[in-house]
Amino acid sequence: MFERNRNKQQKSPQREEARVAPQSPSLGSPPPVASQGAAVIGPGVEISGDVNATADLVINGKIKGSIVQGSHTVEIGEQGQVIARVRAKLVKVSGEVRGDIIGDEKVMITRTGRALGNIAAPRVQLDDGALFKGSIDMTPVETAKPAAPAVEKPAAATAKAPASASTREATPGAAAPASTLNKDQVRKEPSLTLKSG
Amino acid sequence: MPELKHALSTVPSASATYDGVAPKSVDESKKQPSKLFSSLIAPPAGGRRMTLLEVGAALPETVDYLSRYKCRIHFLDLYSEPMLQQLHEFSPKQKAEWFREVLVFPAGTKLDVCLFWDFLCYLDDKALRAFNDALRPWLHQDTRSHGFGVRHLAIKLNNQRYGIIDDTTLSVRPCQALQPKTWPHTQVEMHDMMSCFDFEQGLLLPDGKLEMLLRARPEAFRN
Repeated sequence: MFERNRNKQQKSPQREEARVAPQSPSLGSPPPVASQGAAVIGPGVEISGDVNATADLVINGKIKGSIVQGSHTVEIGEQGQVIARVRAKLVKVSGEVRGDIIGDEKVMITRTGRALGNIAAPRVQLDDGALFKGSIDMTPVETAKPAAPAVEKPAAATAKAPASASTREATPGAAAPASTLNKDQVRKEPSLTLKSG
Repeated sequence: MPELKHALSTVPSASATYDGVAPKSVDESKKQPSKLFSSLIAPPAGGRRMTLLEVGAALPETVDYLSRYKCRIHFLDLYSEPMLQQLHEFSPKQKAEWFREVLVFPAGTKLDVCLFWDFLCYLDDKALRAFNDALRPWLHQDTRSHGFGVRHLAIKLNNQRYGIIDDTTLSVRPCQALQPKTWPHTQVEMHDMMSCFDFEQGLLLPDGKLEMLLRARPEAFRN
């Protein structure tokens, strides 16, 4: 309650745009299945807010928000922690997710993955050792209706800095929370949208 | 109560692949044939989504097996609940409250299939009745269920959990959680306390356990 009141007194967040640089092999820890050009949220990065990616997304940091969505693959690496709903064509969880997961094609929980929430996907794969609590909703491909678009196309890449955003130092090659970036650091890039507030 | 004795029989080939000993690790999981399971899982008429309750942790083979069906599976790992270890020490009212708290599903949910595995063996008489009462709102008149029972304490119940490999084969893995106290029930007791269900079929397994196929008792759903 007190936290909420404190936030109200703060200045309204400014709309900003944030960019995540494509992963460089020499920077940060390599994502397990990231395709080239995947956006990476590195370890040590903490984002409070929503994330919208039009490229593959690898999360090795921490995201707390209402939704993380990608049009292709969203992978939560072993060090990744997401407290939000996750939606993408393919969702792979090797870290921790607290929230519902929607895979328009498939959801995978690997042996190191921990998921607390409900899963909905035509196909779900659990590996030995995976921890899952919740329900699984499956519709095999032959009976599935055509999948809805995974992600709403962002009209504009926007990131609204949260008044209560909790941020940490961004690792090289990883997404930096909008609220910690100055104008020189914030660049327009369509691959990843951070939105919170 | 239907004459279960007529349905009882042994499984001739079961002992060939199932020795009743829980494997020590996941890698050592064993297979257990099941003659009853094949008739349990059938998609509901009209292309409706099948809704299942599994009392236990989600295992890869179970998810893989069920992925061929249009279904929703609620995994309820009550073995990981510390309360289960001391459940027998609580009053009937407290037991009923606990089951009402943990057996919560989205509004409108009606379970087509319940997979109890060994869970009913870990409930004393009062707890079994409380579990039945808490489950009743989520059942319908065609609900079916599967589980194992022990009739007396001389039958060793291993601390294990189950998965589904195919229509006739279950996987058996060691359960990491502490094993709760076992409470044997005769068929008559089980029938009396699980009043939502009738025995449809039972098979006496080589290790002494009873494999049970249950069907919703129509009287339980008449207003």
